Amino acid sequence: MNQSSALDHRKPSPVVVRQAIEWLMRLNNPTASARVQQRCEQWRAAHPDHECAWQRVLSLNADLHNRFQALPASGAAFAALEDSAQRLGRRQALKVLSGLLVMGSSAWLARDVLPWQQWSADFATEVGQRSGFALADGTRLQLNTDTAVSQDFHQQQRLIKLSKGEISVTCGADAQSITPRPLMVSCKHGVFEGISGRFVVRQDDERTRVSVTEGRVLIHSPAAASITVQAGQSYSVTQQRAQILPEPSMDPGAWADGLIVTRNMPLGEFLDEVSRYRHGYLGCAQDIAGLRLSGVFRLEDTDKLLAILPQTLPVQLKYRTRFWVTLQPNA
Amino acid sequence: MPSSNATLRILYSDHHRWLNGWLRSKLGNAADAADLAQDTFVRLLNRSELLELKAPRAFLRTVARGLVIDHWRREELERAYLEALARLPEQHVPSPESRELVFELLESIAKMLDGLKPKVRRVFLLAQCEGLTHKQIAERMEISLRSVERYVADALYHCYLLRYES
Repeated sequence: MNQSSALDHRKPSPVVVRQAIEWLMRLNNPTASARVQQRCEQWRAAHPDHECAWQRVLSLNADLHNRFQALPASGAAFAALEDSAQRLGRRQALKVLSGLLVMGSSAWLARDVLPWQQWSADFATEVGQRSGFALADGTRLQLNTDTAVSQDFHQQQRLIKLSKGEISVTCGADAQSITPRPLMVSCKHGVFEGISGRFVVRQDDERTRVSVTEGRVLIHSPAAASITVQAGQSYSVTQQRAQILPEPSMDPGAWADGLIVTRNMPLGEFLDEVSRYRHGYLGCAQDIAGLRLSGVFRLEDTDKLLAILPQTLPVQLKYRTRFWVTLQPNA
Repeated sequence: MPSSNATLRILYSDHHRWLNGWLRSKLGNAADAADLAQDTFVRLLNRSELLELKAPRAFLRTVARGLVIDHWRREELERAYLEALARLPEQHVPSPESRELVFELLESIAKMLDGLKPKVRRVFLLAQCEGLTHKQIAERMEISLRSVERYVADALYHCYLLRYES
Protein backbone atom coordinates (compact mmCIF):
# COMPACT_ATOMS: atom_id res chain seq x y z
CA MET A 1 0.00 0.00 0.00
CA ASN A 2 2.79 2.43 0.90
CA GLN A 3 4.39 1.71 -2.36
CA SER A 4 1.32 2.58 -4.36
CA SER A 5 0.69 5.78 -2.45
CA ALA A 6 4.24 6.88 -3.26
CA LEU A 7 3.30 6.34 -6.88
CA ASP A 8 0.04 8.23 -6.67
CA HIS A 9 1.18 11.37 -8.40
CA ARG A 10 2.40 9.54 -11.48
CA LYS A 11 0.43 9.35 -14.69
CA PRO A 12 1.60 6.43 -16.82
CA SER A 13 1.06 6.91 -20.54
CA PRO A 14 -1.67 4.93 -22.35
CA VAL A 15 1.01 2.73 -23.92
CA VAL A 16 2.40 1.78 -20.51
CA VAL A 17 -1.09 1.08 -19.13
CA ARG A 18 -1.82 -1.15 -22.11
CA GLN A 19 1.44 -2.99 -21.51
CA ALA A 20 0.56 -3.54 -17.87
CA ILE A 21 -2.79 -5.01 -18.96
CA GLU A 22 -1.01 -7.29 -21.43
CA TRP A 23 1.26 -8.55 -18.65
CA LEU A 24 -1.67 -9.16 -16.34
CA MET A 25 -3.44 -11.19 -18.99
CA ARG A 26 -0.32 -13.19 -19.79
CA LEU A 27 0.20 -14.02 -16.13
CA ASN A 28 -3.47 -14.90 -15.65
CA ASN A 29 -3.09 -17.53 -18.31
CA PRO A 30 -2.80 -20.86 -16.42
CA THR A 31 0.00 -21.99 -18.72
CA ALA A 32 2.18 -18.94 -17.99
CA SER A 33 5.78 -19.98 -17.37
CA ALA A 34 8.24 -18.82 -14.74
CA ARG A 35 10.06 -17.04 -17.54
CA VAL A 36 7.02 -14.86 -18.28
CA GLN A 37 6.87 -14.00 -14.59
CA GLN A 38 10.50 -13.02 -14.65
CA ARG A 39 10.15 -10.86 -17.73
CA CYS A 40 7.15 -9.14 -16.21
CA GLU A 41 9.23 -8.29 -13.14
CA GLN A 42 11.95 -6.88 -15.34
CA TRP A 43 9.41 -4.75 -17.14
CA ARG A 44 8.03 -3.45 -13.84
CA ALA A 45 11.48 -2.53 -12.61
CA ALA A 46 12.41 -0.71 -15.80
CA HIS A 47 10.56 2.53 -14.95
CA PRO A 48 8.52 3.87 -12.01
CA ASP A 49 5.60 4.47 -14.39
CA HIS A 50 5.60 0.77 -15.21
CA GLU A 51 5.34 -0.17 -11.56
CA CYS A 52 2.64 2.45 -11.00
CA ALA A 53 0.54 1.18 -13.91
CA TRP A 54 1.08 -2.37 -12.75
CA GLN A 55 -0.13 -1.67 -9.19
CA ARG A 56 -3.19 0.12 -10.48
CA VAL A 57 -4.08 -2.59 -12.95
CA LEU A 58 -3.72 -5.21 -10.20
CA SER A 59 -5.94 -3.27 -7.84
CA LEU A 60 -8.50 -2.67 -10.60
CA ASN A 61 -8.48 -6.37 -11.40
CA ALA A 62 -9.04 -7.29 -7.76
CA ASP A 63 -11.86 -4.80 -7.49
CA LEU A 64 -13.57 -6.12 -10.62
CA HIS A 65 -13.15 -9.65 -9.38
CA ASN A 66 -14.80 -8.80 -6.05
CA ARG A 67 -17.68 -7.02 -7.65
CA PHE A 68 -18.48 -9.81 -10.08
CA GLN A 69 -17.98 -12.47 -7.38
CA ALA A 70 -20.63 -10.75 -5.28
CA LEU A 71 -23.23 -11.37 -8.00
CA PRO A 72 -25.25 -14.57 -7.75
CA ALA A 73 -23.97 -17.14 -10.23
CA SER A 74 -27.22 -17.97 -11.92
CA GLY A 75 -26.85 -16.43 -15.33
CA ALA A 76 -29.34 -13.75 -14.33
CA ALA A 77 -26.64 -11.11 -13.85
CA PHE A 78 -25.18 -11.70 -17.29
CA ALA A 79 -28.60 -11.64 -18.96
CA ALA A 80 -29.64 -8.49 -17.12
CA LEU A 81 -26.43 -6.59 -17.92
CA GLU A 82 -26.18 -7.70 -21.52
CA ASP A 83 -29.86 -7.31 -22.45
CA SER A 84 -30.23 -3.95 -20.78
CA ALA A 85 -27.05 -2.57 -22.36
CA GLN A 86 -28.28 -3.64 -25.80
CA ARG A 87 -31.64 -2.00 -25.25
CA LEU A 88 -30.08 1.14 -23.86
CA GLY A 89 -27.79 1.41 -26.88
CA ARG A 90 -30.69 1.01 -29.27
CA ARG A 91 -32.80 3.43 -27.35
CA GLN A 92 -30.10 6.11 -27.46
CA ALA A 93 -29.26 5.54 -31.10
CA LEU A 94 -32.80 5.24 -32.38
CA LYS A 95 -34.11 8.21 -30.45
CA VAL A 96 -31.39 10.27 -32.01
CA LEU A 97 -31.93 9.02 -35.50
CA SER A 98 -35.68 9.23 -35.50
CA GLY A 99 -35.40 12.88 -34.58
CA LEU A 100 -36.90 12.72 -31.09
CA LEU A 101 -33.73 13.80 -29.38
CA VAL A 102 -32.37 16.06 -32.05
CA MET A 103 -32.49 19.70 -31.17
CA GLY A 104 -30.34 20.88 -34.03
CA SER A 105 -27.24 19.78 -32.22
CA SER A 106 -24.73 18.21 -34.54
CA ALA A 107 -22.31 17.70 -31.66
CA TRP A 108 -24.75 15.31 -30.05
CA LEU A 109 -25.06 13.38 -33.28
CA ALA A 110 -21.35 13.16 -33.78
CA ARG A 111 -20.67 12.02 -30.24
CA ASP A 112 -23.37 9.48 -29.77
CA VAL A 113 -23.77 7.93 -33.15
CA LEU A 114 -20.09 7.49 -33.84
CA PRO A 115 -19.71 4.19 -31.98
CA TRP A 116 -21.97 2.62 -34.58
CA GLN A 117 -19.40 3.31 -37.21
CA GLN A 118 -16.75 1.54 -35.24
CA TRP A 119 -18.42 -1.82 -35.25
CA SER A 120 -16.43 -4.22 -37.29
CA ALA A 121 -18.03 -5.37 -40.48
CA ASP A 122 -19.18 -8.95 -40.57
CA PHE A 123 -19.53 -9.23 -44.34
CA ALA A 124 -17.51 -7.52 -47.02
CA THR A 125 -16.77 -7.58 -50.72
CA GLU A 126 -13.76 -6.35 -52.67
CA VAL A 127 -13.80 -4.12 -55.72
CA GLY A 128 -15.43 -6.07 -58.56
CA GLN A 129 -16.90 -8.70 -56.23
CA ARG A 130 -20.54 -9.26 -55.44
CA SER A 131 -22.09 -11.70 -53.02
CA GLY A 132 -25.48 -12.71 -51.67
CA PHE A 133 -26.86 -14.87 -48.90
CA ALA A 134 -29.86 -15.41 -46.68
CA LEU A 135 -29.89 -14.27 -43.05
CA ALA A 136 -31.42 -16.27 -40.21
CA ASP A 137 -34.76 -14.44 -40.37
CA GLY A 138 -35.24 -15.19 -44.07
CA THR A 139 -34.00 -11.77 -45.22
CA ARG A 140 -31.92 -11.96 -48.36
CA LEU A 141 -28.90 -9.66 -48.38
CA GLN A 142 -26.83 -8.90 -51.45
CA LEU A 143 -23.60 -6.93 -51.37
CA ASN A 144 -22.41 -4.99 -54.36
CA THR A 145 -18.76 -4.18 -55.13
CA ASP A 146 -16.53 -2.77 -52.35
CA THR A 147 -19.11 -3.06 -49.60
CA ALA A 148 -18.99 -3.74 -45.87
CA VAL A 149 -21.91 -4.50 -43.56
CA SER A 150 -22.42 -5.90 -40.11
CA GLN A 151 -25.43 -7.62 -38.75
CA ASP A 152 -26.85 -7.13 -35.28
CA PHE A 153 -30.02 -9.05 -34.53
CA HIS A 154 -31.59 -8.88 -31.08
CA GLN A 155 -34.82 -9.90 -29.46
CA GLN A 156 -36.46 -6.62 -30.41
CA GLN A 157 -34.83 -5.69 -33.66
CA ARG A 158 -33.02 -6.81 -36.77
CA LEU A 159 -30.31 -4.30 -37.63
CA ILE A 160 -28.07 -4.29 -40.68
CA LYS A 161 -25.39 -1.66 -40.61
CA LEU A 162 -23.90 -0.49 -43.88
CA SER A 163 -20.40 0.89 -43.37
CA LYS A 164 -19.66 1.41 -47.05
CA GLY A 165 -20.89 0.46 -50.48
CA GLU A 166 -24.26 -0.80 -51.60
CA ILE A 167 -26.68 -3.53 -50.57
CA SER A 168 -29.93 -4.98 -51.77
CA VAL A 169 -32.28 -6.20 -49.06
CA THR A 170 -35.24 -8.51 -49.61
CA CYS A 171 -37.28 -8.39 -46.40
CA GLY A 172 -37.65 -11.75 -44.68
CA ALA A 173 -40.79 -12.87 -42.87
CA ASP A 174 -38.94 -13.41 -39.56
CA ALA A 175 -41.37 -16.24 -38.92
CA GLN A 176 -39.46 -17.70 -35.98
CA SER A 177 -39.58 -14.62 -33.82
CA ILE A 178 -42.42 -14.54 -31.31
CA THR A 179 -42.72 -10.78 -31.34
CA PRO A 180 -42.47 -8.78 -34.56
CA ARG A 181 -39.01 -7.27 -34.98
CA PRO A 182 -38.47 -4.29 -37.28
CA LEU A 183 -35.87 -4.73 -40.00
CA MET A 184 -33.56 -1.72 -39.97
CA VAL A 185 -30.68 -0.70 -42.21
CA SER A 186 -28.50 2.04 -40.80
CA CYS A 187 -25.85 4.03 -42.61
CA LYS A 188 -24.08 7.28 -41.90
CA HIS A 189 -26.91 9.43 -43.23
CA GLY A 190 -29.90 7.81 -41.57
CA VAL A 191 -31.87 4.70 -40.80
CA PHE A 192 -34.23 2.84 -43.13
CA GLU A 193 -36.90 0.48 -42.00
CA GLY A 194 -37.91 -2.21 -44.48
CA ILE A 195 -41.65 -2.78 -44.18
CA SER A 196 -41.94 -5.25 -47.04
CA GLY A 197 -40.51 -6.16 -50.41
CA ARG A 198 -37.06 -5.32 -51.74
CA PHE A 199 -34.93 -2.20 -51.59
CA VAL A 200 -31.45 -1.01 -52.41
CA VAL A 201 -29.28 1.24 -50.22
CA ARG A 202 -26.23 2.90 -51.69
CA GLN A 203 -23.99 4.98 -49.47
CA ASP A 204 -21.69 7.59 -50.98
CA ASP A 205 -19.58 10.14 -49.15
CA GLU A 206 -22.08 12.96 -49.21
CA ARG A 207 -25.38 11.12 -49.42
CA THR A 208 -27.13 7.80 -49.36
CA ARG A 209 -29.65 6.71 -51.97
CA VAL A 210 -32.47 4.37 -51.12
CA SER A 211 -34.54 2.85 -53.92
CA VAL A 212 -37.51 0.60 -53.45
CA THR A 213 -38.17 -2.00 -56.15
CA GLU A 214 -41.07 -3.72 -54.38
CA GLY A 215 -43.02 -3.00 -51.20
CA ARG A 216 -42.36 -0.11 -48.82
CA VAL A 217 -39.54 1.43 -46.79
CA LEU A 218 -39.56 4.11 -44.09
CA ILE A 219 -36.77 6.69 -43.94
CA HIS A 220 -35.88 7.81 -40.43
CA SER A 221 -33.51 10.73 -40.77
CA PRO A 222 -32.23 12.95 -37.97
CA ALA A 223 -33.64 16.02 -39.67
CA ALA A 224 -37.30 15.27 -40.17
CA ALA A 225 -40.30 13.06 -39.60
CA SER A 226 -40.31 9.59 -41.16
CA ILE A 227 -40.95 9.37 -44.89
CA THR A 228 -42.52 6.41 -46.67
CA VAL A 229 -40.83 5.34 -49.89
CA GLN A 230 -43.06 3.43 -52.28
CA ALA A 231 -42.10 0.91 -54.93
CA GLY A 232 -40.46 2.60 -57.90
CA GLN A 233 -39.27 5.62 -55.88
CA SER A 234 -35.74 6.67 -54.98
CA TYR A 235 -34.68 9.13 -52.30
CA SER A 236 -31.44 10.93 -51.66
CA VAL A 237 -30.78 11.16 -47.93
CA THR A 238 -28.27 13.33 -46.09
CA GLN A 239 -28.09 14.13 -42.40
CA GLN A 240 -29.93 17.35 -43.20
CA ARG A 241 -32.69 16.15 -45.47
CA ALA A 242 -34.34 13.49 -47.57
CA GLN A 243 -35.35 14.33 -51.10
CA ILE A 244 -37.17 12.33 -53.75
CA LEU A 245 -35.08 11.74 -56.89
CA PRO A 246 -36.34 12.03 -60.46
CA GLU A 247 -36.55 8.76 -62.35
CA PRO A 248 -32.96 7.54 -62.63
CA SER A 249 -31.29 6.80 -65.96
CA MET A 250 -30.11 3.49 -64.55
CA ASP A 251 -32.03 0.67 -62.89
CA PRO A 252 -30.84 0.94 -59.27
CA GLY A 253 -31.25 -2.76 -58.49
CA ALA A 254 -30.00 -4.39 -61.69
CA TRP A 255 -26.51 -5.01 -60.27
CA ALA A 256 -28.01 -7.66 -58.01
CA ASP A 257 -28.63 -9.63 -61.20
CA GLY A 258 -25.14 -8.86 -62.47
CA LEU A 259 -26.29 -6.16 -64.86
CA ILE A 260 -26.16 -2.46 -65.55
CA VAL A 261 -29.39 -1.39 -67.25
CA THR A 262 -29.44 2.16 -68.60
CA ARG A 263 -31.85 4.42 -70.40
CA ASN A 264 -30.35 7.52 -72.00
CA MET A 265 -27.52 7.59 -69.51
CA PRO A 266 -24.69 10.05 -70.23
CA LEU A 267 -21.49 8.17 -71.11
CA GLY A 268 -19.51 10.00 -68.41
CA GLU A 269 -21.89 8.80 -65.70
CA PHE A 270 -21.95 5.32 -67.16
CA LEU A 271 -18.14 5.10 -66.97
CA ASP A 272 -18.20 6.33 -63.35
CA GLU A 273 -20.59 3.52 -62.65
CA VAL A 274 -18.45 0.89 -64.41
CA SER A 275 -15.32 2.10 -62.62
CA ARG A 276 -16.84 1.10 -59.27
CA TYR A 277 -16.31 -2.47 -60.38
CA ARG A 278 -12.67 -2.15 -61.48
CA HIS A 279 -9.33 -1.06 -60.15
CA GLY A 280 -7.47 1.75 -61.86
CA TYR A 281 -8.56 4.71 -63.91
CA LEU A 282 -11.46 4.74 -66.35
CA GLY A 283 -12.54 7.98 -68.02
CA CYS A 284 -13.40 9.69 -71.24
CA ALA A 285 -12.66 12.84 -73.17
CA GLN A 286 -14.86 15.77 -72.19
CA ASP A 287 -16.49 16.14 -75.64
CA ILE A 288 -18.00 12.65 -75.57
CA ALA A 289 -19.06 12.56 -71.89
CA GLY A 290 -22.56 13.69 -72.87
CA LEU A 291 -23.25 10.92 -75.42
CA ARG A 292 -26.31 8.93 -74.39
CA LEU A 293 -26.35 5.23 -73.83
CA SER A 294 -29.24 2.77 -73.49
CA GLY A 295 -28.88 -0.95 -73.01
CA VAL A 296 -28.19 -3.94 -70.83
CA PHE A 297 -24.58 -4.61 -69.89
CA ARG A 298 -23.16 -7.61 -68.07
CA LEU A 299 -20.94 -6.84 -65.08
CA GLU A 300 -19.05 -10.11 -64.87
CA ASP A 301 -16.22 -8.88 -67.14
CA THR A 302 -15.90 -5.11 -67.40
CA ASP A 303 -13.19 -5.31 -70.10
CA LYS A 304 -15.68 -7.13 -72.31
CA LEU A 305 -18.34 -4.64 -71.34
CA LEU A 306 -16.11 -1.75 -72.44
CA ALA A 307 -15.24 -3.49 -75.70
CA ILE A 308 -18.91 -3.32 -76.73
CA LEU A 309 -19.06 0.48 -76.51
CA PRO A 310 -17.31 1.25 -79.84
CA GLN A 311 -19.97 -0.88 -81.57
CA THR A 312 -22.79 1.40 -80.46
CA LEU A 313 -21.14 4.81 -80.00
CA PRO A 314 -18.67 6.80 -82.11
CA VAL A 315 -15.83 6.19 -79.63
CA GLN A 316 -12.64 4.19 -79.38
CA LEU A 317 -10.96 2.55 -76.41
CA LYS A 318 -7.38 3.41 -75.44
CA TYR A 319 -5.63 1.05 -73.06
CA ARG A 320 -2.49 2.78 -71.74
CA THR A 321 -2.14 -0.14 -69.31
CA ARG A 322 -4.70 -2.62 -68.04
CA PHE A 323 -5.49 -0.18 -65.25
CA TRP A 324 -5.56 3.01 -67.26
CA VAL A 325 -8.37 3.12 -69.80
CA THR A 326 -9.81 6.11 -71.62
CA LEU A 327 -12.46 6.53 -74.27
CA GLN A 328 -11.86 8.98 -77.07
CA PRO A 329 -13.93 10.26 -79.98
CA ASN A 330 -13.47 8.41 -83.26
CA ALA A 331 -10.97 10.17 -85.44
CA MET B 1 -19.75 39.69 -10.30
CA PRO B 2 -22.77 37.68 -9.22
CA SER B 3 -22.25 34.81 -6.84
CA SER B 4 -22.60 31.29 -8.05
CA ASN B 5 -25.90 30.90 -6.25
CA ALA B 6 -27.30 34.04 -7.79
CA THR B 7 -26.28 32.78 -11.23
CA LEU B 8 -27.97 29.52 -10.53
CA ARG B 9 -31.12 31.32 -9.45
CA ILE B 10 -31.18 33.29 -12.69
CA LEU B 11 -30.50 30.13 -14.65
CA TYR B 12 -33.34 28.43 -12.85
CA SER B 13 -35.92 31.14 -13.35
CA ASP B 14 -34.97 31.66 -17.00
CA HIS B 15 -34.76 28.07 -18.10
CA HIS B 16 -36.52 25.77 -15.68
CA ARG B 17 -39.73 25.64 -17.69
CA TRP B 18 -37.90 25.08 -20.91
CA LEU B 19 -35.81 22.27 -19.40
CA ASN B 20 -38.92 20.66 -18.00
CA GLY B 21 -40.49 20.66 -21.46
CA TRP B 22 -37.34 19.30 -23.05
CA LEU B 23 -37.15 16.47 -20.54
CA ARG B 24 -40.83 15.67 -20.95
CA SER B 25 -40.34 15.26 -24.69
CA LYS B 26 -37.57 12.74 -23.97
CA LEU B 27 -39.21 10.81 -21.18
CA GLY B 28 -42.87 11.07 -22.15
CA ASN B 29 -43.72 11.42 -18.47
CA ALA B 30 -44.27 14.66 -16.55
CA ALA B 31 -43.38 13.33 -13.08
CA ASP B 32 -40.03 11.87 -14.19
CA ALA B 33 -39.31 15.05 -16.14
CA ALA B 34 -39.93 17.24 -13.09
CA ASP B 35 -37.66 15.03 -10.97
CA LEU B 36 -34.83 15.09 -13.47
CA ALA B 37 -35.14 18.84 -14.03
CA GLN B 38 -34.74 19.28 -10.27
CA ASP B 39 -31.77 16.90 -10.23
CA THR B 40 -30.18 18.82 -13.06
CA PHE B 41 -30.17 22.03 -11.05
CA VAL B 42 -28.98 20.25 -7.91
CA ARG B 43 -26.00 18.97 -9.88
CA LEU B 44 -25.09 22.52 -10.76
CA LEU B 45 -25.07 23.84 -7.18
CA ASN B 46 -21.36 23.60 -6.70
CA ARG B 47 -20.02 24.25 -10.10
CA SER B 48 -17.89 27.35 -10.45
CA GLU B 49 -17.94 27.45 -14.25
CA LEU B 50 -21.54 28.64 -13.97
CA LEU B 51 -20.23 32.17 -13.67
CA GLU B 52 -19.10 32.32 -17.24
CA LEU B 53 -21.89 30.44 -18.86
CA LYS B 54 -22.28 31.57 -22.45
CA ALA B 55 -24.77 29.02 -23.77
CA PRO B 56 -26.89 28.10 -20.75
CA ARG B 57 -29.39 25.89 -22.58
CA ALA B 58 -26.75 23.82 -24.32
CA PHE B 59 -25.05 23.40 -20.96
CA LEU B 60 -28.27 22.42 -19.16
CA ARG B 61 -29.07 20.00 -21.96
CA THR B 62 -25.70 18.32 -21.59
CA VAL B 63 -26.17 17.80 -17.87
CA ALA B 64 -29.80 16.74 -18.27
CA ARG B 65 -28.95 14.34 -21.08
CA GLY B 66 -26.56 12.47 -18.79
CA LEU B 67 -29.37 12.15 -16.25
CA VAL B 68 -31.82 10.97 -18.92
CA ILE B 69 -29.40 8.24 -19.93
CA ASP B 70 -28.91 7.23 -16.26
CA HIS B 71 -32.67 7.07 -15.95
CA TRP B 72 -33.04 4.92 -19.04
CA ARG B 73 -30.21 2.65 -17.91
CA ARG B 74 -31.93 2.03 -14.58
CA GLU B 75 -35.23 1.39 -16.32
CA GLU B 76 -33.78 -1.07 -18.82
CA LEU B 77 -31.71 -2.81 -16.17
CA GLU B 78 -34.70 -3.23 -13.86
CA ARG B 79 -36.74 -4.68 -16.67
CA ALA B 80 -34.00 -7.01 -17.91
CA TYR B 81 -33.21 -8.14 -14.36
CA LEU B 82 -36.84 -8.96 -13.59
CA GLU B 83 -37.10 -10.86 -16.87
CA ALA B 84 -33.97 -12.82 -16.05
CA LEU B 85 -35.28 -13.63 -12.55
CA ALA B 86 -38.56 -14.81 -14.02
CA ARG B 87 -36.67 -17.37 -16.07
CA LEU B 88 -34.88 -18.82 -13.03
CA PRO B 89 -36.07 -21.96 -11.28
CA GLU B 90 -37.78 -21.02 -8.03
CA GLN B 91 -35.07 -22.22 -5.65
CA HIS B 92 -32.55 -19.86 -7.31
CA VAL B 93 -34.65 -16.71 -7.04
CA PRO B 94 -33.03 -14.43 -4.44
CA SER B 95 -34.97 -12.84 -1.59
CA PRO B 96 -36.29 -9.29 -2.09
CA GLU B 97 -33.57 -7.83 0.19
CA SER B 98 -30.68 -9.47 -1.59
CA ARG B 99 -32.30 -8.57 -4.89
CA GLU B 100 -32.01 -4.92 -3.91
CA LEU B 101 -28.30 -5.27 -3.17
CA VAL B 102 -27.66 -7.19 -6.34
CA PHE B 103 -29.49 -4.56 -8.32
CA GLU B 104 -27.29 -1.79 -6.92
CA LEU B 105 -24.21 -3.76 -7.80
CA LEU B 106 -25.53 -4.43 -11.29
CA GLU B 107 -26.20 -0.75 -11.77
CA SER B 108 -22.67 0.21 -10.78
CA ILE B 109 -21.31 -2.36 -13.22
CA ALA B 110 -23.65 -1.27 -16.03
CA LYS B 111 -22.54 2.31 -15.54
CA MET B 112 -18.90 1.30 -15.65
CA LEU B 113 -19.39 -0.62 -18.91
CA ASP B 114 -21.26 2.24 -20.57
CA GLY B 115 -19.60 3.28 -23.81
CA LEU B 116 -17.95 -0.05 -24.54
CA LYS B 117 -18.52 -1.42 -28.01
CA PRO B 118 -21.15 -4.18 -27.95
CA LYS B 119 -18.73 -6.98 -28.78
CA VAL B 120 -16.18 -5.80 -26.23
CA ARG B 121 -18.83 -5.62 -23.52
CA ARG B 122 -20.16 -9.03 -24.35
CA VAL B 123 -16.75 -10.68 -24.26
CA PHE B 124 -15.92 -8.98 -20.99
CA LEU B 125 -19.20 -10.03 -19.37
CA LEU B 126 -18.85 -13.60 -20.55
CA ALA B 127 -15.42 -13.70 -18.89
CA GLN B 128 -16.34 -11.90 -15.68
CA CYS B 129 -19.96 -12.93 -15.05
CA GLU B 130 -20.04 -16.36 -16.57
CA GLY B 131 -16.43 -17.26 -15.85
CA LEU B 132 -15.80 -18.59 -19.36
CA THR B 133 -12.22 -19.01 -20.54
CA HIS B 134 -11.04 -16.97 -23.50
CA LYS B 135 -11.13 -20.09 -25.64
CA GLN B 136 -14.75 -20.82 -24.71
CA ILE B 137 -15.69 -17.23 -25.48
CA ALA B 138 -13.99 -17.41 -28.87
CA GLU B 139 -16.01 -20.51 -29.73
CA ARG B 140 -19.27 -19.14 -28.43
CA MET B 141 -18.98 -15.84 -30.26
CA GLU B 142 -17.32 -17.32 -33.34
CA ILE B 143 -14.39 -14.94 -33.25
CA SER B 144 -10.65 -15.56 -32.95
CA LEU B 145 -8.88 -16.08 -29.64
CA ARG B 146 -6.75 -13.05 -30.47
CA SER B 147 -9.90 -10.90 -30.80
CA VAL B 148 -11.17 -12.12 -27.45
CA GLU B 149 -7.90 -11.13 -25.81
CA ARG B 150 -7.93 -7.76 -27.49
CA TYR B 151 -11.51 -7.10 -26.37
CA VAL B 152 -10.79 -8.09 -22.77
CA ALA B 153 -7.76 -5.78 -22.78
CA ASP B 154 -9.90 -2.96 -24.27
CA ALA B 155 -12.49 -3.40 -21.53
CA LEU B 156 -9.86 -3.36 -18.79
CA TYR B 157 -8.34 -0.23 -20.26
CA HIS B 158 -11.76 1.41 -20.33
CA CYS B 159 -12.26 0.59 -16.63
CA TYR B 160 -8.77 1.82 -15.85
CA LEU B 161 -9.47 5.22 -17.41
CA LEU B 162 -12.72 5.53 -15.50
CA ARG B 163 -11.08 4.73 -12.23
CA TYR B 164 -7.82 6.61 -12.49
CA GLU B 165 -8.25 9.33 -15.04
CA SER B 166 -11.71 10.77 -14.80
